[in-house]
Amino acid sequence: MRLTIAAGVASFTAAFLLSPLFQGGGWFWTSLGVVLAVVAAGLVSSRLSLPAWAAPLLGLAATWIFLTLSFASDKAWALVVPTKSSVVELGRLLAVGWADIQRFAAPVPETEGVTLLTAGGVALIAIAVDLLAARVRRAALSGLPLLALATVPATILSEPISWWAFIVAALGFISLLIADGRERVGHWGRAVLVRRTRQATSGTPSAARAAADTSGLRLSGKRIGFAAILLAVLLPAALPAMEPVSFFTFGVGGRGSGPGNSISIPNPIANLKGQLDLPERRVVLTYANNDNKPRYLRIYALDTFDGQQFGMTQPKGAPQNRTENGPLPEPPGLGPEPKINNVVTNIRISDEIARLRFLPLPYPPREIRVDGDWRADVDTLMVFSTREEAAGLEYEVATSEPQPTVDLLDSLDGIRPEVDPRFLALPEDLPQEVRDLAEEVTAGATTTYDAALKLQEFFTKPGNFQYDLRTQGHSSSALRDFLIRDRVGYCEQFAASMAVLARQVGIPSRVAIGYTGGVQVGERWEVGTNDSHSWPELYFEGVGWLPFEPTPSGAAGQGSARVPVYAQPRPVETTGTSSTPTPGASSSAADEPQSPTARRNIRELDREGTVATGTLPPDDSMPLIAKIGIGLAALLLLLLIPAAARLVTRSRRVRSLGWKVSEPSDELTARMVSGRGRLTVAAAWAELDDVLYDYGMARETSETPRALARRLTQQYELDAESAAALSAIASAVERVLFARDPGRIEPMSKDLRKVRQALAATVSRGRRMRAVLLPPSTLRRLRLLGERLLDGFDLLETIRLRRTAAQKGG
Amino acid sequence: MAVTHDVPPQLDELVSTAHRIRQAIESVIEGKSDAVRLTLTVLLAEGHLLIEDVPGVGKTMLAKALARSIDCPVRRVQFTPDLLPSDITGVSAYNQQTREFEFKPGPVFANIVVGDEINRASPKTQSALLECMEEHQVTVDGHTYQLDAPFMVIATQNPIEMEGTYPLPEAQRDRFTARVAMGYPEPTAELEMLDVHGGTSPLDKLEPVATTAEVRALIEAVRGVYVSQAVKKYAIDLVVATRHSPDLRLGASPRSTLQLVRAARAHAALAGRDYVIPDDLQDLAIPVLAHRLLPSVEAQGQRRLPEQVVTDLVRRVPVPETRSS
Repeated sequence: MRLTIAAGVASFTAAFLLSPLFQGGGWFWTSLGVVLAVVAAGLVSSRLSLPAWAAPLLGLAATWIFLTLSFASDKAWALVVPTKSSVVELGRLLAVGWADIQRFAAPVPETEGVTLLTAGGVALIAIAVDLLAARVRRAALSGLPLLALATVPATILSEPISWWAFIVAALGFISLLIADGRERVGHWGRAVLVRRTRQATSGTPSAARAAADTSGLRLSGKRIGFAAILLAVLLPAALPAMEPVSFFTFGVGGRGSGPGNSISIPNPIANLKGQLDLPERRVVLTYANNDNKPRYLRIYALDTFDGQQFGMTQPKGAPQNRTENGPLPEPPGLGPEPKINNVVTNIRISDEIARLRFLPLPYPPREIRVDGDWRADVDTLMVFSTREEAAGLEYEVATSEPQPTVDLLDSLDGIRPEVDPRFLALPEDLPQEVRDLAEEVTAGATTTYDAALKLQEFFTKPGNFQYDLRTQGHSSSALRDFLIRDRVGYCEQFAASMAVLARQVGIPSRVAIGYTGGVQVGERWEVGTNDSHSWPELYFEGVGWLPFEPTPSGAAGQGSARVPVYAQPRPVETTGTSSTPTPGASSSAADEPQSPTARRNIRELDREGTVATGTLPPDDSMPLIAKIGIGLAALLLLLLIPAAARLVTRSRRVRSLGWKVSEPSDELTARMVSGRGRLTVAAAWAELDDVLYDYGMARETSETPRALARRLTQQYELDAESAAALSAIASAVERVLFARDPGRIEPMSKDLRKVRQALAATVSRGRRMRAVLLPPSTLRRLRLLGERLLDGFDLLETIRLRRTAAQKGG
Repeated sequence: MAVTHDVPPQLDELVSTAHRIRQAIESVIEGKSDAVRLTLTVLLAEGHLLIEDVPGVGKTMLAKALARSIDCPVRRVQFTPDLLPSDITGVSAYNQQTREFEFKPGPVFANIVVGDEINRASPKTQSALLECMEEHQVTVDGHTYQLDAPFMVIATQNPIEMEGTYPLPEAQRDRFTARVAMGYPEPTAELEMLDVHGGTSPLDKLEPVATTAEVRALIEAVRGVYVSQAVKKYAIDLVVATRHSPDLRLGASPRSTLQLVRAARAHAALAGRDYVIPDDLQDLAIPVLAHRLLPSVEAQGQRRLPEQVVTDLVRRVPVPETRSS
């Protein structure tokens, strides 16, 4: 009974941890309701003494009924009884919720589907907790499902879980454990007496004893629980972290990220045209890479064609594809054959770029070092964010460009491309002339690659097409007009048309939008608004997506457009492969592509590249080694704090010890001396105490100075001189503490040093090192503090018990 | 190891006198310096001593030796089941000549009273000792007679498991400052005993080494020994700990706190110190406290003696110390 309720409380408090994942509070009430339903089911099965396996079934049934009532009551019979259509409705909502979760980044808006999914999840956890705690009677094990619930926000959110939510959840679990303990003790009899000694020696006898008998177990349980929670919350704050962790931020969602978590898809094409139309050139970004070659920087990949223009499917950024999680997903379709050129590029986005939520990147990015929550779309490797903006950002990207040879590309003919069908999809009403044109252009092509080349050649052949920015619009006939009639357009038309024709001949294609390589200014490459560009990417199984360049370059075309090596018209020298879009094959011949077998660990390659070429700015985000080094150094410094504190304390004490006490001449001086002497002796005694603690021969609290001196002398066989020094200290302490007039106190620093040396000689070298570097005596203070804290809890508990007893008595 | 320091002048005489008495007693009792020391402590603390052990280990010898070495009136009472209270306190007898009742003082009218096998007498007789021990006075037929100072009862008793004994009631046990167990002598000490005391009783040769006035002065000096607040607090802590120990059914009384501190004064003075240190209390905790305590049923079941409980408590109660600034 009690356990069932406690299990419900624990599940519900654990669900608090989910709060940063949602925008509103609706999920909270649904979760509360569903937990109540599960608890009710648990109470029923306890009441009816149902077998353990029946309880979860009942819980599931209760959950189902509750969810039907909440989400599909209009389709259910009498609001609650599930019918076929209500089940279908729930299923639909679940699917919608699942899709929403995939689409949105946390905190997600509260659609019905998401709430349903959350409530269902919480219900499953609650049922599992109830099963473990109340049925199988393994309350501690029920921490596992609760932990599973707690890991959900921890994995999804990059920010730390809010500490108050953690405390609430932990208290819930502890109350479950306490309930279990009470139940157990209730079944088996009297609680075990667990008391602290301090309690045993003070306080009123009858009250203390009575309290100990009834509540000792619960009391110590609570104490341990509170201490554990306190440690769990405070300790991580004290530990050094590699990155600054924002501690004590209230709630993860509370950072004021605002709404707008759904990815807003800009109209890239309109944007592109707008940039190209700008009267003056503005710098968009600059970049530098380790082989100092210009590269196309892709921002968007448009994959769907509706007959008029290319559009973008909503990109999906799963939490595991965050850039900070290490390497991005593998580039699709890239097999082991092509040689790989690993490049590291440092990109700086201008501050003036507004509302850019996609990163311009060379394709294919493998790993990105960037601040903020950026995620990669698995299919297209676009990197975007729902809350960050790229303006002013500086980041580094490692790319692995495939460098296929013409032979290799030729050899890929006939392999069925394993891509999403949307990259091949063409609308039904595609004009027949266009279809015919595709067949006509590629007629005589021996391989798919050959066909792609022929398509590109069709656009670039001098006289065939004319580059002009003034081309108008996207009417339904725009494609046909461009391809068949006018043959006038700019990069967008070229890219889209080539992509359409490629699809027509069975080559998966998409349209990339971004920037060309720009112009070199000093050591960096500068990309301006007039470098906005669009180009088609064609897919070859085994190599992946390759950019082609149908747009004319130079003065009569897109100024900085470049035709990739593999896409240059044959015959061409392809032995010395080079990075993709380069001015010429010869200039890149010196580039040493890395062997494909070394491509496995991209992270490592990335480092090597960095080190070998040394083009990374040194002040940039530091390498892992340096981070580890700094972390270790910080840790070391932190570890040395006790040693430093010890040294400070010692020197302070020794200074007070060196004070000379003269013979008191009158009563006033005598009192002063006695006061000063007291201080001196206290310092000596405290220092001796700490020395002993550090050497592991700590004084018992019941050990008098005299007994201590005796024990040390015997146990460690001190020589006469040290023994005399020790007993001088002990005697002085004794006199100061207990005698009417302590008399003359000699300075004790020499004695103290002698004793310390004598004791140090008896312990091992390791122990001595530890006493210096990590003195336990400093840590003892912390322990004392903790004990005092626990005593505080005890006191509160005692007050409560007394009050209860008084109420019972009265 | 003795911690050397100067003996204050006012204790000089005390230390030397006490030393003489100790030597005198130890010439009779071999190898029992602890028991002898405790006996002296109790004497100087104006308390009473209970010597408990099996027959024949020198209980009575110790009592007699102390009595002999001080030049003062000593009376010895052999407690038997038929002993009457008036046999101890004294009776009023009718004087034919003066035609008046005259008080015939009993054996308690002495400076040192040796009560042999005190637990063989009936409780009624035992309790007759109570008033004398606590109040240092005797009341017979409405008249109160003051006892001489110093007044010390040294009672011996056989362990309560022995046949024909009446265990001392708690109230009476509480009146004894300390209980000491003689224990069997070491083999070497026993051998020496045979060699030296084989023929004659050593008691016969014992001459008094101190006078009553001297002892009174010693007691006065002991009263002047300083007890700091911290030590008083520590004494209270120790006694209170016995009251809260789950191993004890009956803890020590406030009277025992008083006696503990008094005995500690004497203990300190005997060591030549004019102030009490926690060590004094620790040394005396078992003899002063253990005989007053009643173990709980659980402790009895575990065969834990009060002595062991007190040892544990002494080990647990923290001594007063300076708080480092």
